Amino acid sequence: MTELLHVNGLSVRFSGLTALDDVSFTLQEGAVRAVIGPNGAGKSTLFNAISGYVTPTSGTVHLKGQELTKLTPHEIAEQGVRRTFQNGGLFPELTVLENVLTGLHAQIEGSFLDILLGRSKALKSEAENIHRARELLKLMSMDHMADTRAGDLSGGQQRIVEIVRTVASDPPVLLLDEPAVGLSPVARAQMMEIIHRLAGEKGVGILLIEHAVELVMAAADRILVMAAGARIAEGTPEEIREDRAVLEAYLGHS
Amino acid sequence: MSTTMPTSRQRRLRTWAFWAVPVLLLLTPLATNAYTQFIINGMLISILVTLGFTLVIGNLGQLAFANTAFFGIGAYASAILSAKLGLPWIMTIPLAGALGALGGFLASSAALRGIRSYYLAIITLAFGELMRWAYLHTKPLTGGTDGLPLPRETMFGISLSDDTLKFYIFLAVTVVLVKATLNLLRSRFGRAVMAVRENEVATASLAIPTARVILTTFIWSGFVVGCAGALFARHVGHVFPESFGMLHLIASFAMVLVGGLGSVLGAVLGAVVLTALPEYLRAFPGMEELFFGLIVAAVLVAMPLGLASLLRRLSPIFVERYYREES
Ligand SMILES: Nc1ncnc2c1ncn2[C@@H]1O[C@H](COP(=O)(O)OP(=O)(O)O)[C@@H](O)[C@H]1O
Ligand SMILES: [Mg+2]
Repeated sequence: MTELLHVNGLSVRFSGLTALDDVSFTLQEGAVRAVIGPNGAGKSTLFNAISGYVTPTSGTVHLKGQELTKLTPHEIAEQGVRRTFQNGGLFPELTVLENVLTGLHAQIEGSFLDILLGRSKALKSEAENIHRARELLKLMSMDHMADTRAGDLSGGQQRIVEIVRTVASDPPVLLLDEPAVGLSPVARAQMMEIIHRLAGEKGVGILLIEHAVELVMAAADRILVMAAGARIAEGTPEEIREDRAVLEAYLGHS
Repeated sequence: MSTTMPTSRQRRLRTWAFWAVPVLLLLTPLATNAYTQFIINGMLISILVTLGFTLVIGNLGQLAFANTAFFGIGAYASAILSAKLGLPWIMTIPLAGALGALGGFLASSAALRGIRSYYLAIITLAFGELMRWAYLHTKPLTGGTDGLPLPRETMFGISLSDDTLKFYIFLAVTVVLVKATLNLLRSRFGRAVMAVRENEVATASLAIPTARVILTTFIWSGFVVGCAGALFARHVGHVFPESFGMLHLIASFAMVLVGGLGSVLGAVLGAVVLTALPEYLRAFPGMEELFFGLIVAAVLVAMPLGLASLLRRLSPIFVERYYREES
């Protein structure tokens, strides 16, 4: 298994508050690593620091040996680290198909001028990617929804479309920020099934923030436990289950 | 609630309809008098002005009001290049577009420095007023309050004061720019523009360079409206600073809203309807402004999404989407 992501000593300070405190870990190809911890533990901040939305005070992030730390969010996404958002990041006024197509933006060929003049190079690539987007929706049994306004979907459907959009470009690394929150048990099970398939069949390395402990235990290969910005434990689900620090800091409360 | 999308047959029909409109318009000079032709020429200019405006405030969702500044820059560029440098007017159109694009670049630099919403609105309004001040205070170049007349000129042996000749040129420019804008919107670029409006943070996470999308949209908007300025200079034959003040901005804003924010079809409808309306209101001397305001308000109350939404309800061929299916 190759190492995809290497996070080393990552810290983020917001004017006095240490939201992320010297966190290190690696993520392997095809692995699912869960990040758990109470609210305000710094999980989303960790994602923001990896994906370029906040500048780390110190520490580095590498993807396959290449440093990402100084890149902007769109550059990091282009390198192959893609993410979803805790509060949902769909574009409600665009259709489901258009939303998935935005995930293929960098894959579509043709310069601004090619597009402006309607040159066949741009049109051909656009058509190919529309086809690809429809195929991806079909895999998730969402193809009948292609022309629906994304804002009109149910919460569960929105989460699934957001994931389809995020993985459309076949990124090696995927960061999912509470993808199952607010979902019905059936939709949760479907979400976990999707995560399993992405990791198992496509070899995507997945970082997963999730609150439901039973889901985490079932889905993750390794778990990183955070509290107050710092890592308090790290290990397999079995190891975490036994860990006293975890029991006290986190599991004890839930 | 699923949107009804056009079938492939309807898409072909739409393509036909798109080209049928300008082709039929080619015949209008046969059926109109000089005055009506002048009004129609003004409509074509308003279509481009409204199109450029709606791209920025509707599609990109930025509260930028530099549109009239782009228009004035284009008009003065065309007039100055014609009158002072002796360039054939037709050649000033792309140059006016380029200077309008430069105006767009300047306006976008405010948005890209994080100046947004009301702050962007006020700074772009100030940009427009600054340009008006510049026209007034650079008399040797612009003629100041006296304005700047365009020189007499002929094309194909016909005087450029001929409204029929102007009509054909304006129509060609309008069709090219509307088609190019549709090409842009119905592509990854158009989706990126909409994505920035909907959720700029999420847009960047999809490897879309948001700053470049904002910059490019402003530049293209400035180009379209700058070209419209060059047409306007020839349309009226004499450019004055007063043509590029708040009144023009408000009228264009009304056209954007009456047509439907962020809609190309809406830009066309809003421009056509609100350019024609004052002509019909001439029957009510002294009440024109009042009726104009009431009608605009009534349309917006009845149809907050503009006239384009009415057509969308009539037929799916009017549904505007941001991808291009082969037909
Ligand atoms: N942009 C920010 N500016 C200031 N404080 C922030 C910012 N983002 C997060 N924080 C703070 O950092 C801490 C960690 O937040 P977060 O990473 O969202 O936690 P979690 O996702 O684990 O619930 C919280 O105290 C939060 O208020
Ligand atoms: Mg969070």
